[in-house]
Amino acid sequence: MPATTVTARADHGDSPVRPAGGAPAKGRRRSGPLARIPVPLWLLLPAALVLIPLFGYPLYQLGLLSVLKFGQPQASGGVPTEFVGLSNYTDVLGDAQFWSVLGQTLAFAAFCVVATLAVGAVCAVLLTRVGKWPRLLLMFGALGAWAAPAMTGSTVWMFLLDTNSGLVNEILGTQGHNWMYDKWSAFAMVAVVVVWHSFPFVMITLYAGIQAIPDSVLEAARLDGAGTATIFRRIMLPMLRPLLVIVVIQSIIWDFKVFTQIYVMTGGGGIAGQNLVLNVYAYQKAFVAENYSLGAAIGVLMTLILLAVTAVYIRSLRRSGEEL
Amino acid sequence: MKRDNRVLRQGANVLAIVLALLTVFPLYWMVLSALKPKGEITSAHPRPWTFAPTLDNFRNALGVSGFGRYFLNSMAVAVVVVVVSAAIAFLAAVALSRFKFRFRTTILIMFLVAQMVPVEALTIPLFFLVRDIGTVAPGFGLSSLGALMLVNLAFSLPFAVWMLRGFVAAVPESLEEAARIDGASRFTILWRILFPLVAPGLAATSVFSFITAWNDFVFAKTLILDTDHQTLPAALMVFFKPDENDWGGIMAASTLMTVPVLIFFVLVQRHMVSGLGGAVKD
Amino acid sequence: MKKLARGAALAVLAGTVATACAPGTAKTASSEDKQTGTVKVWLYDEANRAPKEQVVAQAVADFKAKHAGVEVQVSYIPTDAGPRAEKMKGAFNDPSSAPDVVEFGNTDLFGYTASGGLADITSDLASWEEGKDLPQDLKDTAVVDGKTYGLPWWLGVRALYYRTDVFTELGLSAPTTYAELKSAAEKVRSAHGDMLGIAVGGKYTFGALPFVWANGGDLATANGSAYTSAIDSEKSQAGVKAYTDLFTDGICPAQQCADLTGGKTVESFAAGKAGMAILPNSSRSAVEAGAAKGKYAIVPLPGTAAGQVAPAFSGGNDLGVMKSTQHRSLAVDFIKELASKKNQLALFDAMGNLPTLTSARAEVSQKQPWLKPFTDTIEAGTKFVPKDAAWAKIDAQNVVPTMLQKVITGKADVAAATKEAAASMNSSFSGK
Repeated sequence: MPATTVTARADHGDSPVRPAGGAPAKGRRRSGPLARIPVPLWLLLPAALVLIPLFGYPLYQLGLLSVLKFGQPQASGGVPTEFVGLSNYTDVLGDAQFWSVLGQTLAFAAFCVVATLAVGAVCAVLLTRVGKWPRLLLMFGALGAWAAPAMTGSTVWMFLLDTNSGLVNEILGTQGHNWMYDKWSAFAMVAVVVVWHSFPFVMITLYAGIQAIPDSVLEAARLDGAGTATIFRRIMLPMLRPLLVIVVIQSIIWDFKVFTQIYVMTGGGGIAGQNLVLNVYAYQKAFVAENYSLGAAIGVLMTLILLAVTAVYIRSLRRSGEEL
Repeated sequence: MKRDNRVLRQGANVLAIVLALLTVFPLYWMVLSALKPKGEITSAHPRPWTFAPTLDNFRNALGVSGFGRYFLNSMAVAVVVVVVSAAIAFLAAVALSRFKFRFRTTILIMFLVAQMVPVEALTIPLFFLVRDIGTVAPGFGLSSLGALMLVNLAFSLPFAVWMLRGFVAAVPESLEEAARIDGASRFTILWRILFPLVAPGLAATSVFSFITAWNDFVFAKTLILDTDHQTLPAALMVFFKPDENDWGGIMAASTLMTVPVLIFFVLVQRHMVSGLGGAVKD
Repeated sequence: MKKLARGAALAVLAGTVATACAPGTAKTASSEDKQTGTVKVWLYDEANRAPKEQVVAQAVADFKAKHAGVEVQVSYIPTDAGPRAEKMKGAFNDPSSAPDVVEFGNTDLFGYTASGGLADITSDLASWEEGKDLPQDLKDTAVVDGKTYGLPWWLGVRALYYRTDVFTELGLSAPTTYAELKSAAEKVRSAHGDMLGIAVGGKYTFGALPFVWANGGDLATANGSAYTSAIDSEKSQAGVKAYTDLFTDGICPAQQCADLTGGKTVESFAAGKAGMAILPNSSRSAVEAGAAKGKYAIVPLPGTAAGQVAPAFSGGNDLGVMKSTQHRSLAVDFIKELASKKNQLALFDAMGNLPTLTSARAEVSQKQPWLKPFTDTIEAGTKFVPKDAAWAKIDAQNVVPTMLQKVITGKADVAAATKEAAASMNSSFSGK
């Protein structure tokens, strides 16, 4: 094991440890007195000590597993592992189910992101327009939803939607209706839970952002004769941009990786696997079908997709002159 | 014109109240159902109130199903993760926002990229890694709380650093300058000057670390095979029976699981909002 | 931007460059054989398990009386294929939290053996006095490459439970053909809208297979030791159609039944919410504890023609010793204790689990007339799943339930769904 760790580090040259271990930073120092500390990387050392073995190394192993034949007989039965090149990838990419799962993952995530941002933004604006009590009430409700763990959120909503003893069916008079039976109905129900969980973050962040815009700036603009639309577009939006970046990226990251809600609410992927998303799909392949290497290949593909999405987003930000 | 504004404002008030009630209702339903007696829960006509509240479901969850133990397990993991992650993230955030050095942007991007990685996919190699660690240090092997602490620490760090960076940057450097002129050591500056000023941000960040650790389902499910060391989210699954779900027990356990997070939120709520606001002024 | 790309490239590169240092293989075999300590036991968490727990508690007490200084810790694990597979996988990978003794479905044995999880107990069983009473064909179900890995503990075959009160009320008699079964189911539901005509489930593999077998189909055909799926053969398709045709609004609405497991059909019938159900003998205790008590009878599941019995799956559970155990002798002693004639009889009384020991089975059959439809079913001939390591995988991946559910929900027709299932099975058989 120790030997492998060393290999991993060598392969991971660009991870945070390299600068710490390598030549001292050449940095052009800023005027801050802390800059006197010769190696700022000392400060990064604890993070590196945690992240390299527990994040970098597993990531490397994920890639490694994806090019091996590694199932339960290899993991515990003493059967030697075997290098199979890209055959796990060709298996995954050649599987029609992968493509349908990919498609519904993207659609589901996109829907959740848009819905979360829309609900969150509307609520944030609403907060600036209402009296004290409605505002506190909405804040309180949102904090509650935010605080509720994904697991409990899922169980409560499952109970509300339960076929026989659920409140939703009682109110709508649709006793015996199974909300998880239809594929899109099931996805919609999970999406409701995801949005319920994540809109508060967007709402509170944006609300804080709007509050932080100095009144004097808005006042000045108004005196200059700017209308509400202009103020919004020319002043508020640019000032909120850094925050918008955060909430959009976070929403993409969170919603694309939804696991608990899908896993719990649809019982591991729904009827005939209709509600699988990539995350659950990879998990099932690895831990249920005991094909660890295939699961790893799906994980690698998924990581690449997320990176691509983020890269596109960051690039567009850079184009519009935003500093990271 | 003025009248219109009043109507609009009243409409907004009503809308906000309705949204608030909708948002909070599932939580109300959870607590209510946890307090309902058995017959009312499985009733085909659920009512949004109860006249016979009982603690049976809680007693059942804590006693029969051993939730007390899982609660403590979860707490231990979350507290360790919050404290350690705050300390490490603080140092890293200072490095990334107070210094310019060669790989700064690369490292920053790596922290962002780290958040992209689907954690669930990493459970596969982590499972084997933790298994191998266990042969050397059983306290961090499979089925140990130590393993959960380490893993959750690693996965809450990137976001914590990313978020804390803004808070550190928001503290004016002139304060440190002044302290330095007064002859304060680097450690003093870091600990006595910067740390208190960043504390609100640290509180806000801790919420996220706490949530990561407290809510973690997939690691607990994969890495903890021995039920004695299970944490709450995965343990909740024991209430889902092959024949009939015990909704009363599920709701009671869910309530127990939600309360600590709510308390934490209420405690740091002010910092969270002002802190996030602070990040904007950056 | 470039830096982001570089970070991404690195992650992939790291994986593709090196071939060394793959995750290690767990050392599952233990050389230790402690005579004291705690023997950890995993048993199935079956519907209505309280009576089973009592029998086990008694067996534990007897065992502890014979072995001073030994504790026994019994846990109950989920019976559904997916969660169960996860749990066992954990045990194989992590000897320290693994049990010493496990109960497992006889179909799981081949996969578990391939994973190197079970200990070879050939010699231990050979020297077991009471075990002489175990019929050879049963012993053979636990043998792989000439070595025994399991002790057959009890048997379960499925037959048709039906509600006598409802049938009398509607002037129906017990069905003798598939066509009668279907029409009876329709009549029950049209008279009692709140009841399922017959409780069937999209996740109930062993409820569906008798229909496949009754139509002359099968899961797979053996060619030497290699299996090829036959679920897409014409006969199998007829069986799949027969089963999935029961999921109509007039019998068992897809909305309610598509996601039911075998366990839930037990619950449904026991609660008096179904006119019929295909349940094993071991579910009788659950039915007796429910609303249907005293209002039901059992017959063999009818085949396609009158007088024919749909071949049942010869189910049952084995007891095994984990290869990683550090209490090998104690574990072996404990499974012998659990599987003793005394406890097999007690387990029968408690749960209705049919004993594996010939003498015990003869005793209970004589005593209990309700067993007759089950013994008749056994005599008519039973079937089994492919004796291949791939089966555990096929089972855990829900290949058969997925196929059934696709047909039931109208996502695919019988031909397409069975073709897909066959392809999936074949890829497992070929070791992918």
